[in-house]
Amino acid sequence: MLLAVLIANSEGNILVERFNGVPAEERLHWRSFLVKLGAENLKGVKNEELLVACHKSVYIVYTVLGDVSVYVVGKDEYDELALAEAIFVITSAVKDVCGKPPTERLFLDKYGKICLCLDEIVWKGLLENTDRDRIKRLVRLKPPTEF
Amino acid sequence: MAQLVKKDDDRDEEGVHYLVCYLIAKACWSYSTAEYSPFLGIEKGAVLQEARVFNDPQLDSRRCSQVITKLLYLLNQGETFTKIEATEVFFAVTKLFQSRDIGLRRMVYLMIKELSPSADEVIIVTSSLMKDMNSKTDMYRANAIRVLCRITDGTLLTQIERYLKQAIVDKNPVVASAALVSGIHLLQTNPEIVKRWSNEVQEAVQSRAALVQFHALALLHQIRQNDRLAVSKLVTSLTRGTVRSPLAQCLLIRYTSQVIRESGVNNQSGDRPFYDYLEGCLRHKAEMVIFEAARAITELSGVTSRELTPAITVLQLFLSSSKPVLRFAAVRTLNKVAMTHPMAVTNCNIDMESLISDQNRSIATLAITTLLKTGNESSVDRLMKQITNFMSDIADEFKIVVVEAIRSLCLKFPLKYRSLMNFLSNILREEGGFEYKKAIVDSIVILISDIPDAKESGLLHLCEFIEDCEFTYLSTQILHFLGIEGPKTSDPSKYIRYIYNRVILENATVRASAVSTLAKFGAMVDSLKPRIFILLRRCLFDSDDEVRDRATLYLSTLGGDGSVVETDKDVKEFLFGSLDVPLVNLETSLKNYVSVHAEIQEPSEEPFDINSVPKEVKSQPLAEKKAPGKKPTGLSAPPTGPTSTVDAYEKLLSNIPEFSSFGKLFKSSVPVELTEAETEYAVNAVKHIFDSHVVFQYNCTNTIPEILLENVSVVVDASEAADFSELASKPLRSLPYDSPGQTFVAFEKPEGVPAVGKFSNMLRFISKEVDPSTGEAEEDGVEDEYQLEDLEVVSADYVLKVGVSNFKNAWESMGPDCERVDEYGLGPRESLAEAVSAVINLLGLQPCEGTEAVPSNSRSHTCLLSGVFIGNVKVLVRLSFGIDGPKEVAMKLAVRSEDESVSDAIHEIVACG
Repeated sequence: MLLAVLIANSEGNILVERFNGVPAEERLHWRSFLVKLGAENLKGVKNEELLVACHKSVYIVYTVLGDVSVYVVGKDEYDELALAEAIFVITSAVKDVCGKPPTERLFLDKYGKICLCLDEIVWKGLLENTDRDRIKRLVRLKPPTEF
Repeated sequence: MAQLVKKDDDRDEEGVHYLVCYLIAKACWSYSTAEYSPFLGIEKGAVLQEARVFNDPQLDSRRCSQVITKLLYLLNQGETFTKIEATEVFFAVTKLFQSRDIGLRRMVYLMIKELSPSADEVIIVTSSLMKDMNSKTDMYRANAIRVLCRITDGTLLTQIERYLKQAIVDKNPVVASAALVSGIHLLQTNPEIVKRWSNEVQEAVQSRAALVQFHALALLHQIRQNDRLAVSKLVTSLTRGTVRSPLAQCLLIRYTSQVIRESGVNNQSGDRPFYDYLEGCLRHKAEMVIFEAARAITELSGVTSRELTPAITVLQLFLSSSKPVLRFAAVRTLNKVAMTHPMAVTNCNIDMESLISDQNRSIATLAITTLLKTGNESSVDRLMKQITNFMSDIADEFKIVVVEAIRSLCLKFPLKYRSLMNFLSNILREEGGFEYKKAIVDSIVILISDIPDAKESGLLHLCEFIEDCEFTYLSTQILHFLGIEGPKTSDPSKYIRYIYNRVILENATVRASAVSTLAKFGAMVDSLKPRIFILLRRCLFDSDDEVRDRATLYLSTLGGDGSVVETDKDVKEFLFGSLDVPLVNLETSLKNYVSVHAEIQEPSEEPFDINSVPKEVKSQPLAEKKAPGKKPTGLSAPPTGPTSTVDAYEKLLSNIPEFSSFGKLFKSSVPVELTEAETEYAVNAVKHIFDSHVVFQYNCTNTIPEILLENVSVVVDASEAADFSELASKPLRSLPYDSPGQTFVAFEKPEGVPAVGKFSNMLRFISKEVDPSTGEAEEDGVEDEYQLEDLEVVSADYVLKVGVSNFKNAWESMGPDCERVDEYGLGPRESLAEAVSAVINLLGLQPCEGTEAVPSNSRSHTCLLSGVFIGNVKVLVRLSFGIDGPKEVAMKLAVRSEDESVSDAIHEIVACG
C-alpha cells in the first residue's frame, strides 16, 4: 500500500497531502515526521536526487523539486524501489505540468492540474499509471497514444 | 494573455485561473509583490459561497474549475467539511455534469471522489455516471468506473457488475486498468462479487499492455490467495511465459517465494523448485526486478551458500550504485543476511565501509550495523575508529541502532570489551536524548553482567555519568544497580563519593534512591558500615519525607541508631530480596484498604498486613510470550533478561504447595507452542527442570468471547517417556476469554540424570456458553477435550547456556582431569555450517567468541562452547569439524568439566543424537 503522498514547500508547509489507509489520528504525526525528516536532510540536495529512510516496516522516499519537496510513504509491496518508481512518476508529472522544476508559486498556479495528475498516478494507495505521456493525456481526458 | 492565445487547442485552465486570481489579488493586495499565493487568504466559508456558481443556469466552466481547485486545496490542507457543507457542495457539483467542457468534467470526477458522498446521496449521480460508463468516449468510461467504484455499495455493484466485467477486458488499457484497480479495492468490501470476475481477470493477465498485466496479476492473486494450488499454477504458468512490466515481474517473484515457502524445502533431486527462475531474474534488465529476485533468494528458508552467492554478488554491485535507493535496498538486505549468514556478507565489507560516509544517513547506519555483525575480532578497533567520526552527525534514532549493534558485538568478542566499553562511555558523555542515553546505559549494564572483567570499569563509567545526568529515571536505575554490584567489587569505598553526591545535589527521587544504595553498601561491607551510618544520619535532616523515612528505616534496620539489629540474613533479605507479592495485587489490596476506611470515615486501627496480599499471579505477563527472540533490555528488566524470567518462574512455582519441595529450579525452557496460531485455544508450554523433577507449565488462552472454560487441565500421556512418572497436576479453575491462565503437571525422574522422552497432551475442560449481553456464563457446561501437539524433554533442557569471557583461560584452568575426547562421523550434511549449528542446538550450550559462525567454503572449523550441566557442573566443549568432498562431516569432541560423569553425559548426548 502506498500510504501517503505529501508535497510541502521549502518552509515545511503542506501543499498537497493524500493519505491512504492511515488512520486520521496518525496523519498529523506522519506529517510532522516527514517534514522534520526533510528539514534535517534535504538541505543542499539536488533536484530529484532521492533520499530514503525506513521507519519500522514503512519506507519513505523523498526528494526536492524546485521549491517543493515530495515525500512518498509505503509498506509491503511498496518498498523503497517501488516508491522510487512512484516518486519518479510524480516528479515527472509535476515537471510536465509546470514546464520546469516549479517555484512554490508556479506549483500553486498549476494546483488543479497537479491534483489531477496525482489522481491518475495513485488511486487509493495503488499505483495506477506510470507513463508520463499517458498521464499528460489522461488529465485532459484524451486516450493514450499507444492505444 | 499571450499565454492563453498560444494554448488554443489545449486550453490551460490554470493559466486562466492564474490570470483571474492575479487580477483579483492585484486589486485586493496592491502592495504585494509578484510572489503571492493564488490561495492567499483562502477561507472555507468564502469558497463554499463561491461554489454557488455551480448552480448557475449558464455555467462558466473556467470559473467552476477554479472553485473546484480551491475546494481541492482546502481538502488537501486537511480542512474538513461538515455533513451539511459536503452535501451542499456535492449536490452543486452534480449539476456540472450538464457542462460539455472536458476539462471541467475531469475535475468533477475528482471532486466527487474527494467528497465521498454518503449512501443516500449517491443516487443523485449514479445515473449520470452509468451514462458515462457506457459512453463511447473511452476516457469517460474509465473515470466513471473509478468514481462509481469509489462511492458504490453492494446493491449498486450488482447492477454495474456486467459493465465492469466487460471493462476488465476492454481494448483500452486505461479502461481495463481502471476496472482492475477498482476490483482490488472492491475485493475488500464485496469479495463474493469480485471473485466472480476470475475469468476476465485471467484473460487480462495475458494482456499486452504492461500495466494491465500488473494490475490483473495483483487482483488475480488476491482472489486466489487462499487456494494454494491455484496460486502455484498461476506462478508455474507465468514464470514460463512473458511478463511485460517490471512491476508485475516483482509481484510474480513475491508470489513465487510464497509458493517455494509453502511447498517445503528441496524435492527429491535436491533442487529447489523455481530457484532457476529467481536466479534468471538476477539478469533482468530492470534493477527493480534484479533486487526483488536477490532479496527473495536471501530470504529462502535454509538457503545454502551456493544459492546465496549470485544474489550477494548483485547486491554487492548495487552497493556502489549511483542511485541512493538501490544502495539503501542492497545494504538493508545484506544487513538482514548478516544476521543469519554473516560470512556470506564479508566479501562486501570493503564496499560497505565506503558507505559509512554516505550522505544518506540511513544507508550509513545500515552499513555500520552490518559491518558490526560481519566484522571479525581483528577489525573491531578499526571499525570503532570509523564509527566515532560518524556518530557526531547522525540523529538519535540511528545512534540507538548503532549502540545496540555494538552491544551484540561486545558479547560476541568479550576480549574486546575494553575498546567497546570506552566507546560507550565516550558517547555517554556527549549530548543526546533519553532513549539514546538509556540504550547506552542498558548496554553497559548488560556488558557488566555478562563480562566479569568489564565490571569495575563499567561501574565507574556509570558513576561518572550520574554526576551529570539530567534524567531522573536513569539516575535511579543506575543507583539501584550500583547498590547490587558495587559492594561486590574489590574496593567498594570508591563508589560512595558518587552516591553521596547525589544526596547533596539531586532531586528528591534520586536522593531517596541514593539513600537506599548507601544502605546496601552498609549491609554488605562491614568496614564501611560506621561511615555509612554517618552519611545516613545526615540524611535524617533532608527536606523530603521519603528521603528522611528511608534514612530512618535503614539506620534502624542496620543498627545505626543503636537499636538491637535483626540478624544479618534478615537485613540482607530485606534490602536485596524482592517483594514476594505481585505489585498489581499489592496495589489492589492497598486501594481496598484505603477505600474501606475512607467509606466508614475512620482511620484504621489495624495496620495494613502485607501477608493479606494474594500471591497468585493472575495472568502471565505478556512479556513472557514475547520472551523468545527478545533481547535483554538492561536496566528496565534488571541485569539480564533471561534471569529475571527464571526468577519470575521460580517465584510462581514456589507459591504452589505441590511443587515447593522440589528444590531449586535449574532451568526453564522458552515457551513451546502446542497449538497453531489463531486456533480457539492457544496453549504453549514451559518446561521447568529441577534436580529430580520436571514441571510442565501450560499457558492457556481462550480466544472465544462466547465461551468460558472451567476446570481446565492437561492430560499427559508419558508412555514414550519411561523415566518419568506423573506426580501431581494442578488444574486451572476458570479460563475466561482473553485472560491467560496456567495449569501445571509435575513428573518425578531419576535425580541428576538427563532423562529424555516424548509426552502427548490433551487439553480437558468444561465449556460453558457466555451470554454476550450480560457477560454471564450458563450454569451447565459440557465436558470437552482438545488435542495439543506433543512436548519433548531433550538433553539440551538439562544444560544452561553460560558463556565464558576467555575460553582459553577457562579451558586451561579446568585441567585435563575429567577430559573426555572422542571422534564421531556425522554422515553427509548440507554444509559445514549446518552441521555445526545442529551440534550446538543438540547440546544446548553457549557458543563462545563468535565461533558459531563458519566461514563460507571452509573445510574445517573449531567451535567453542560452554555452559552449566544439571547439578551445577561447569562444562566446556571444544568441537573440531572437518568436511570432505562428498560432504561427509567428521567431528572430534573434547569435553572438560568438573565431574567426569558429566563429561561422559555430554558424549552420550552426541552419541544418541
